[in-house]
Amino acid sequence: MKLQYNPRQRWLIGSVLLTTLYLPTAVAEVKLNGFASIRGTSVSSDGGLAPYPGYEEGELSFKTESLFAIQASADLSEGLSATVQLFGEGANDFEVDARWAYFSYQLNDTHRLSAGRFANPIFHQSEYEKVGYAHNFSRLPKAVYIGLDFSTIEGIAVDSQFNIGDYSLQTKVLYGGWSGEVFSAVTNNTVSFGLDNIMSANATLAGDWWQLFGGIFAAEIDGAVIDSTTVFPLAAGGIALATANGATAAQVADFRNRIGWNEKDAFYWFSGFAVDYSNWLVDFEYVSYEVKESTDVLNNSWYLALGHRFDNVVVTVHTEDYAQDPDFGYLNGVTHPVLQATGRGITSAFGQREFDGVGLSVRYDFHPSAAFKADYFKGTDTRATVDDYQLISFGVDLVF
Amino acid sequence: MKNRILVLSTLLTTLSSAMVFAEVAVIVHPSNANALDAATVAKIYLGREKSFADGQSVVPMSLVETAPSSATFNDVVLKKSASQLKAYWSKLVFTGKGTPPKELATEEEMLKLVAGNPSLIGFVDASKVDASVKVAFKF
Repeated sequence: MKLQYNPRQRWLIGSVLLTTLYLPTAVAEVKLNGFASIRGTSVSSDGGLAPYPGYEEGELSFKTESLFAIQASADLSEGLSATVQLFGEGANDFEVDARWAYFSYQLNDTHRLSAGRFANPIFHQSEYEKVGYAHNFSRLPKAVYIGLDFSTIEGIAVDSQFNIGDYSLQTKVLYGGWSGEVFSAVTNNTVSFGLDNIMSANATLAGDWWQLFGGIFAAEIDGAVIDSTTVFPLAAGGIALATANGATAAQVADFRNRIGWNEKDAFYWFSGFAVDYSNWLVDFEYVSYEVKESTDVLNNSWYLALGHRFDNVVVTVHTEDYAQDPDFGYLNGVTHPVLQATGRGITSAFGQREFDGVGLSVRYDFHPSAAFKADYFKGTDTRATVDDYQLISFGVDLVF
Repeated sequence: MKNRILVLSTLLTTLSSAMVFAEVAVIVHPSNANALDAATVAKIYLGREKSFADGQSVVPMSLVETAPSSATFNDVVLKKSASQLKAYWSKLVFTGKGTPPKELATEEEMLKLVAGNPSLIGFVDASKVDASVKVAFKF
C-alpha cells in the first residue's frame, strides 16, 4: 500500500528529516539505529489463494516478509528530540516511506509529548510489530496482528511512566487521524479509507516477571469511497429488487444510511497478559473491533503462546483465532424483507473471513545483534478460496 | 584416576572462579548520598526511573557488551541476557519510548566520567575502583 501524503504531512516529514539529518553536530547528537528482517516464506493453501494479502501462494518468497528500517534521532537537548524512521518492505517493493517523523519533548520525569507521524498503538505490540528482533515469532500472530493499514498515523501523543512501589505503569494517550487504503476481503482488493478524530488510550502494568495490559481506540470513519465502491455496489441488486417490490425511496435512503460506513464510529480494544518466569514465557492477547451500526462485523480475535527459553534458543508454540460475530441489530426497523435480507447478506459477506491455527516458532540468538528464526504454521480459513493452509518460514532479524 | 579428578576439579574451580568472582561495583559521584539497591539500579538502567531519590536526575552509563563486567551486571542486576536486553531496548528505541544507556569502551573512561558528574551512575570491575568515585554496592 502506498500512502498518499497531503501537503501538511509532506511539510512535517520534510522538517523532521531536515532537523534530524542536517543539524550541526555541535548542536545535536544524532543517533542512528535500524532493524531488518530477511525471511524466506513459503505459503500453500488447499483453495489456491494466499491466506493473507501480499503473500504469494505456492512459492518460496524472500520478498513477502523481508524489510528494513533506518531511524535517525536527534537529541536537541533540554528534553527535545526529533526522530525520523525510513522504512521499506518487500510487500511494498521495498519502496521507502518516512514511517515515523515526529518531535518529542520530555515534559518531566513522568510525561513525554510527541507530535507528528508515528505508530498507531492499535493493539499491545502494534508499535513494534515490524521489529522482528523485539519478539520471538517470525511474525506476530496474524489473528491479532492482521496488518491493519492504519498502523501509522499523524497526531499528538503523551507517553507516561509511573512507578508504583515495585510495579511500573506505562500509559499512552493520543489524538490523530489517518488516510490511506485498506484491504477488503470482500473484493480481495484495497480501497481508499480514512479515520478521523482518532482517540486512543492504553496502559501496561508490569512487575518483575509479568505484565497486564489493555487499551481502547476510537475513530470516526471517512468511508465515502468504501461505501461507493464496495458496500453500495453489493447492495445495488437488492435495492433494485426491493424497489421493484414496493420499497419506497425513503425506505431505500434509510437503508443506505444504515449499511454505509461513512461517518460511523469505529471501536477497537485489546487486553491481555505476558509472563516471563523461570524461562517460561506465556503471552495472551484478546482484541475486539468493529465499525458500529454498519454492515461491518464485530471481530473477536486472540492468540495464546507458550514458550521456553533454553539459553540462547527460544521455542514457542501458539494457537490463534480470528473470528467474526455478525450483529444484525443495525437493521432493526428495516421492514422491507428484501432490504432486510440484502443487509444481512452484506454483513455475512464482510464476516465471511475467519481463520484459526497453530504454530511452532524457534528463535536462536546466534549473534548479539541478530536472531535466526524458523517457524511452521498450520491454519484453516473459512473462505473456500483459501481453506486449509500452511506457512513455513526461516530468516534472520537484525537490530543495530 | 586421582590425577584426572584433580585436573577436573582444578578446571571447574578455575572456571567457576572466573564466572563467580568477577566482582562488579556500581559507582556514583562521591557527593551522591542516595541509598541504592539492585532493584532501583535495575529500574534506572531499564529507563523506568529517571531521578535519584533526592530528585537529582540520573544518567546511567554502560560498558560495551564485550566487557566482562557488562555480562555480570546484565545477569545479576538486570536479570537479562545481552540478547534479551537488546530486544527490550528495541521495543523502546523504535517506538520513541526510550534510549539505552550510552556504552563506554573502557572502565577507565567510566571512572573518569562518573567522578566528574553527580548525575551519572556506572559500573566497573570492583578491582578497578579508586577514590574518585563512590561505591553504591558490590555484587
